[in-house]
Amino acid sequence: MDQLTEILRQLHDANVEFSLIGGFASRYYGVTLVTEDVDVCARFTPQNLRRIENAVKEYNPFHRLAANKLPLELTDELCSRLKNLYLKTDIGILDCLSEVAGIGDFNAVIQQSQKVSFPFGDCYILKIEALIRAKQAVGRQHDLIAVQQLSAIKDRLDQQPELKFRS
Amino acid sequence: MIDEKILAQMNGEYVMPPDAGPAWRAAYEAGIDVSLIEVNLQKTPWERLLANDAALALIRVLENAKSPNPGA
Repeated sequence: MDQLTEILRQLHDANVEFSLIGGFASRYYGVTLVTEDVDVCARFTPQNLRRIENAVKEYNPFHRLAANKLPLELTDELCSRLKNLYLKTDIGILDCLSEVAGIGDFNAVIQQSQKVSFPFGDCYILKIEALIRAKQAVGRQHDLIAVQQLSAIKDRLDQQPELKFRS
Repeated sequence: MIDEKILAQMNGEYVMPPDAGPAWRAAYEAGIDVSLIEVNLQKTPWERLLANDAALALIRVLENAKSPNPGA
């Protein structure tokens, strides 16, 4: 059963350094498109990768794009060579990227992120302007629909700033 | 006597907010149902994420129902 909010909670509780990006971030801002995965930009240090592993270990994670669906079992060598982690778990899909098109590496992403509060604690999320740029850079059809919605939402938030402060 | 404007709205005509910006208007012109975005904006961000979880659960139920062996 997919519980993408639970993936977010697990990442937070495991102290993973990440910023929420992609479709779930778009949902955060009010986009109506349903997303099937959690996309995050994470710091790809061995320590942080181990935190990601710890966050999802009880949900049987495996490399969903690897032909033989290899389970997530990090080694020092793997930690030094991975640029992305595309995982499927019992509670949904988690894609971890070391950099984001249109934005840059983790440091650039964090600089263009904001801290937001969830029931379990605070997390970083890519700011709406940066999310628009990232989705424009990817440019797939559904990304462009999201760009149109995000641009409209930004318009609305600029007109009605009180909507920004709902939590 | 039913007001014709109200009737049109009851039948689905969207009323553009007078302060709507160009991107909001462009999204409407492109065929996006901006009334659904308005509904989303009335929710808290956490409620929007939970709604995504609920939508995914419904999608899985429907996928399972149309599979040759439902429940398998």
